Amino acid sequence: MAKQPLQDRIELVYGSLDMLILRTLLWGPAHGHGIAQSIERTSEEMLKVEHGSLYPALQRLQQEGWIRGDWGVSKNNQRAKFYRLTASGRRQLAAETSRWERFVQAVSSVMSPAEPEEGK
Amino acid sequence: MNWRRDLAKVGALLRRRKLADEIDEEVRIHLEMEAQENRERGMRPDEAHYAALRRFGNVTQAQEQSREMWGWPWLETLLQDLRYGLRQLRRNPGFTAVAVLTLALGIGANTAVFSVMNAALLRYLPVRNPQQLVYLHTRGSVPGAQGTGHYSYSFNLASFRELRAEHHVFSDLVALVPLAFGKVPVRSGNESEEVAVNMVSGNFFSGLGVRLARGRAFTLEDESRHSQVAVLSYGYWTRRFARNPDVIGQTLYIKSVPFTVIGVAGHSFVGVEPRKSPTDVWIPFQSRADLKPWGRSPEDKKGLYGSPNWWFLMMMGRLQPGVTWKQAIAQLQPVFQRAAYEGIGAPKPKDRMPELYFSATGGIQKLRENHDSPFIVLMAMVAVVLLIACINVATLLIARNAAREREFTMRVALGVSRRRLFHQLLTEGLLLVAMGSGLAWIFSLWATRVLAAWSGLTVDVAPDSTVLVFTLAVAVVISLVLGLAPLSSAWRVPSGLALKRTGGATSHGQSRCRKGQVISALQIALCLTLLMGAGLLIRTLRNLESTNLGFRASGLLVFGIVPPQGVHTDAERLHFWQMLLDRVRVLPGVESATLMGDRIGSGWSNDTYVRVDGVNPRGNQGSIVRWNRVGPDFLHVLGIPLLEGRDFTDADSATAPKVAIINQTFAQRYLAGRNPIGHQVEVSKKHRLKVIGVAADSKYTGVREDQVPMAYFPYTQTSGGGTMTVELRAVSNPLALLPEVRRAVATFGPDVPLLQPMTQQAQMEETYADEQMFARLAMFFGLLAGLLVATGLYGTVSYKVNRRTQEIGVRMALGAQRRQVLWMVLRESLVVTLAGAVIGLPLALVGARLLGSILYGVRPTDVLSIGVALIAVCALTVAASLVPARRAAKVDPMVALRYE
Repeated sequence: MAKQPLQDRIELVYGSLDMLILRTLLWGPAHGHGIAQSIERTSEEMLKVEHGSLYPALQRLQQEGWIRGDWGVSKNNQRAKFYRLTASGRRQLAAETSRWERFVQAVSSVMSPAEPEEGK
Repeated sequence: MNWRRDLAKVGALLRRRKLADEIDEEVRIHLEMEAQENRERGMRPDEAHYAALRRFGNVTQAQEQSREMWGWPWLETLLQDLRYGLRQLRRNPGFTAVAVLTLALGIGANTAVFSVMNAALLRYLPVRNPQQLVYLHTRGSVPGAQGTGHYSYSFNLASFRELRAEHHVFSDLVALVPLAFGKVPVRSGNESEEVAVNMVSGNFFSGLGVRLARGRAFTLEDESRHSQVAVLSYGYWTRRFARNPDVIGQTLYIKSVPFTVIGVAGHSFVGVEPRKSPTDVWIPFQSRADLKPWGRSPEDKKGLYGSPNWWFLMMMGRLQPGVTWKQAIAQLQPVFQRAAYEGIGAPKPKDRMPELYFSATGGIQKLRENHDSPFIVLMAMVAVVLLIACINVATLLIARNAAREREFTMRVALGVSRRRLFHQLLTEGLLLVAMGSGLAWIFSLWATRVLAAWSGLTVDVAPDSTVLVFTLAVAVVISLVLGLAPLSSAWRVPSGLALKRTGGATSHGQSRCRKGQVISALQIALCLTLLMGAGLLIRTLRNLESTNLGFRASGLLVFGIVPPQGVHTDAERLHFWQMLLDRVRVLPGVESATLMGDRIGSGWSNDTYVRVDGVNPRGNQGSIVRWNRVGPDFLHVLGIPLLEGRDFTDADSATAPKVAIINQTFAQRYLAGRNPIGHQVEVSKKHRLKVIGVAADSKYTGVREDQVPMAYFPYTQTSGGGTMTVELRAVSNPLALLPEVRRAVATFGPDVPLLQPMTQQAQMEETYADEQMFARLAMFFGLLAGLLVATGLYGTVSYKVNRRTQEIGVRMALGAQRRQVLWMVLRESLVVTLAGAVIGLPLALVGARLLGSILYGVRPTDVLSIGVALIAVCALTVAASLVPARRAAKVDPMVALRYE
């Protein structure tokens, strides 16, 4: 069965996709398509999200209680499920953001160590 | 996984379909939006659609994965396997029915027997912390002491008083003693009936930790004041008062003495000796002359208080937490031995001191103490039945899996992993075991009731939670064993190749047949063991039934009577008995009537030391004799042959010369070579009697007993218990006399019910109720085992014949006769049987040794039982193989050869 390569990719996107979704929803409620586009736009098209992978992540976040989905109507008068950040989702986002920042800091200080004489 | 997500999934369980639809809908809308944007960017509609799809990735996978987020993949696999297993079982209803039924019978028999054993031996008394409770026993006795009741359970009052004060060992020590050997008359309102009453110490309920359903329990004050109060058992409250809550405060007349009901014991508590008859009413210790323990008459010197050398009390103690049995015994032994000699004087140096010891009230310890219990032998028997049943089902499963080899190969070729295949086959086995266990549970509910009735157990033997655990454990073990069967099948599936093969024969056929034969032989060996045991037990029962009792038990009605209120002195009592005899003797249908002190066949016996003509006939050793107080015409009514001299008559009154009748064993042992008539028997200094007759030996405490020297004394010339047993020789059916007898006895007042009225025949049969149950069960289990072995063998032989159809066809085409084919099949079965017999014979002999003390009049190596068991096994195997053998002989060579 073709499960193996898929799992590898999920491993890669797993945590960060959740975080990205939560971050996007901080602007306000959005539907799946909106979330995907928003991630792409704000990352200046650097991050290409495979739209399909969004949906399992959305289910997981709902089960964790970090987001809530409700049916509504879009600007174009189209029916869609709009996701909204919950209080615990906000807390989760804060925690993940700080962890992410520390991670980035750690990685970048390894990748480009500061020169001793220029030290601050 | 975390609990929050699991919770969310559980919450979503009921709307899973809706959720799935919503996800599909969301994805559809998403694609639609994307396509619309693409169109707005100037793409052609179809181009826009495909671009959206590309952007999205694998649509089905995204939907599936989203849906799966709401499920438990392993559970779904299991459900799938279950559904698949059920479908497979349904497709093969015959196989399923046979397998489930076989397992149900095997497990059910085990559950039922375990349930009874659990109730009789394992289950603790339903009280607080029952593990702390012990029964107190004594080994050996004190010179001059006289005991009543169960020898090893009986203590004197001083022992109770002194041991009770050992608070650092016992947090509570309770004592109890029945008011009579059997039951006593109890009246409430105008209705009088027989009831089991125990006198107990004031801490009985509080010390044992028995919860009361209603009212209050006794206090130590009730004991010291001898309060006339009573606590009813829940059962008696239900039976007699229909659980009327107003029973508290009502008056019960126990042997005509008024008692006020103050409480009702908890539902499950039926006394401290639940295997014996349950207690109906408890009262505190009494000091009245008319309420002496064990039915002693008011004028008897022996009573609860002030008879130091009477051993009659039963005791139970609750050990202080942390005190071990060993420590407790070490602490108590000197205290007990001092108390044992109280009122007798200092022990002489050569005296062997009585020893105190404990026994458990339940649990493994009690099981160990009763390692020779019939239930353990029964347990072994049903375990063998279960083993045979399991082997049968395993064989069936293997045979069926072999037939499904093509299916397995196909599925492996289609990409199913062997692991998954194994899981599926395991699930099928589990399903069978689950169905079998369920059916077994229902079966055991019914079977325990039958067993309880047969074994005479009065406790609740219905399966409880312990039994459920046992059954589940058995089911798990069987599942593991049956799980091995598909393991081999799943792993042996050749990949690819077997698809090309056409039919039944496989490369493993040969070794599988050999294995099948070994298994069949083992089954036959086990079956032979069971049948042998059954044969021995049936012969035991036959022997017991046909034993010459020495008297005519049939046609006798027997019942107990306690003299009514107002009968106080010995003279009044004698007058009452004479009047009673006169009244029942003349009833229509009564041929003759007499009295006796101890009821024959009740198990109780009165033993004493005796001197003949002033000397001890056995020199230094004590000459023990069993004695009974009996009425006029005793030998005649019972039908005991009179060998010499005369029977008692009405003329042997209290004032007449004191006389005795002895039995043959007495004459042979203590008066050898002399004419016994005229010799003098001396029971005590004051009690010397002249032998006037010699009776033939007869059974007394039970059918199994050996003959002991026995003396009969006229009831008029010996004082004794207040209760007497009346024996009536009926012209026809003894039980038909009952209404007439009841009417006649009722004329003596409301407090004179007939106690335990029954035929003497039934009373004697009660003494071998265990053996009766045993023989019936062993026969049943033997038949069951036989049936299982036969079906198993039938299956194996049929399978083999089917496989060899082609070969048989060739043989017949080459000129083999039908008779030869028949013989060929039968011969193999006979070889297997022979092998089984060779393994089984030593096994059966070992098993027979286990029965040991249960057997009566038959040796464990009984040739007849072995022979019958062997013949039965042979008949069984021939019968089981004959059907497939005949089918083989009917094979049409042409058809067989064309057959694939």
